[in-house]
Amino acid sequence: MTRFFYPSLAVVAVTVMSLLPLTLDPQGYEIRILCIAMLFAALGQAWNIVGGLANQISLGHAAYFGIGAYTSTILLRLFSLSPWLGGILGMVLAVLFALLLSVPTVRLKGHYFALATLGAGEAMRVIANSWASVTGGPVGISVPYSRESSLWMMQFPTVLPNYYLFLIALVIICLVFWKIQTGALGFRLRAIKENEQAAEVIGVDTYRAKLIASTVSAAITAFMGTLYAQFQFFFDPDTVFGVATISVKMALIAILGGVGTLLGPLLGAAFIIPMEEFANSYFGASVAGLSQFAYGVILVVIILINPRGLVALIGQIKNRIFSKGGSQ
Amino acid sequence: MQSITTFFQTLIDGVLIGGVYAVISIGLSLVFGVMHIVNFAHAEFLMLGMFIAWFAWAYAGIDPMLGAFIALIITFFIGMGMQRVLIKPIIGAPQVAQIFLTVGLLFAMENGALLLFGADFRSVSTSYQTQALTLFSGESGRILVPLDKLYAFLMALLSGASLWFFLNRTSWGRAMRATSQDPMAAKLMGINTDKMYMIAFGLGVGTTAFGGAVILPYITASPTVGSQFVVLMFTAVVLGGLGSVAGAVVGGIMVGLIQSFSALILPIQLQNLTLFVIFILVLALKPEGLTARRRS
Repeated sequence: MTRFFYPSLAVVAVTVMSLLPLTLDPQGYEIRILCIAMLFAALGQAWNIVGGLANQISLGHAAYFGIGAYTSTILLRLFSLSPWLGGILGMVLAVLFALLLSVPTVRLKGHYFALATLGAGEAMRVIANSWASVTGGPVGISVPYSRESSLWMMQFPTVLPNYYLFLIALVIICLVFWKIQTGALGFRLRAIKENEQAAEVIGVDTYRAKLIASTVSAAITAFMGTLYAQFQFFFDPDTVFGVATISVKMALIAILGGVGTLLGPLLGAAFIIPMEEFANSYFGASVAGLSQFAYGVILVVIILINPRGLVALIGQIKNRIFSKGGSQ
Repeated sequence: MQSITTFFQTLIDGVLIGGVYAVISIGLSLVFGVMHIVNFAHAEFLMLGMFIAWFAWAYAGIDPMLGAFIALIITFFIGMGMQRVLIKPIIGAPQVAQIFLTVGLLFAMENGALLLFGADFRSVSTSYQTQALTLFSGESGRILVPLDKLYAFLMALLSGASLWFFLNRTSWGRAMRATSQDPMAAKLMGINTDKMYMIAFGLGVGTTAFGGAVILPYITASPTVGSQFVVLMFTAVVLGGLGSVAGAVVGGIMVGLIQSFSALILPIQLQNLTLFVIFILVLALKPEGLTARRRS
């Protein structure tokens, strides 16, 4: 039974998610929140490939996200290039950036890796802010709006098609993560996580494994950047290259849900995004910083309670119920 | 001739600002050296120190150079409390827990300050702000030493020297160094390592807050001021070697010099980019720091 339990659960979840927007106003607020939640679930999952499986704590994934958003938008503005092609080009650039960054960072661990990636993300933000002739600088850049609805140009009169794009992307990314997690690469990455030297001794090419994981993660993150640009129509360097807005949020969602697990980023995003939106709409813009303050507090509390996240917490509760007070 | 005065002016600017960076970074290095925790929230204590000094100036007319001592004392106790409640549980925990606890703290503090104090920029006005010593004056130009930067540098020197004295010439300092080298052995020798951790964290954040307060005459305080210093601080510490207090001084002055000299050739927005690149390169090539001594 368990063999079919999780796949059927996934099918039910996807069916519910595809039918859900039909009951909502296609221009409404709720559907936008669901879109953002799926976007961040996908980003959390992308982060999870490197941060969760290999324990390489990246604080600079915003670099890839921003590259994706800017590449497709700049090409769309200059040459009216389809965001699909721009997005693919963005993925290529993000992979190149990941390869470039891996030269100095692939041997770094723990704190040092986190610091170096943080620096790389911030460097991209500085570049985007100062290279105003291409990126538009700190004032931001907007996606040119065309009147007709077109899948090729990724522009639609309502948010509904965006919703399905996010859903399809999320499903694909979850499948990629699941494939990596249960495949040989996943075992290699987990071996690196447990003990990198031991992994090398038993013949794991740790350099290669980490490189593959980080390029896949970078490519996914970049394409989500393109989807985000076509959804928001306007963004600036501090948003798409931001430490708090992207890099840490991606990691937070994966960690909150349960680092290194398939379900983790989904749970994390389902919790964080609605909470953030609720706080923003309830307290309004007058209380600036409240949602990020809440982030910080939640992050601290979650780590003090259980650093393994909601999945572990649910597991504990399940154990307690099913074992009727027996030992875990 | 013109270029010679420019060179010396840049050199002086770099050393003066670098001295302050050194003090700010010493605290971060001390925390890492003793507890082996990278405190991502550390720059927020600089912000806290600035605000304490600003309030002392605005409501009691205390000069930021003296307010710095108030900032040091208050943040010392805040730091001790924080260490007890938040940092102690994660000593020896997986690095992902350590990283994200302090990152969480960073957001909580930065935005907590935003909620409490508002987004306004706050600056002080002092009599020495606009004054400068003229070191050299001639046809080729002048070499000036701005007084606010000079005072901040001297205060930084004072606090750095005091910390050095504490660590190397007092029994508590010796106990702290012992704790940093081998907590288990230190415990067996009768050192209360939990207390040492608390004092180290308190002193670490206090020193940084002190450094924040003395730069108040030439840098405006705002809740997000810490983010300007995060990379700078980490670059200084990494240049000197994480955990080495003396290294942080060298690293801080190097960062000051890199910043002032890169401003000569690069546009101002790209000033920090040089730092980021150097930062990543140093991490990659010599993560133990440029001044690291070979240990057995």
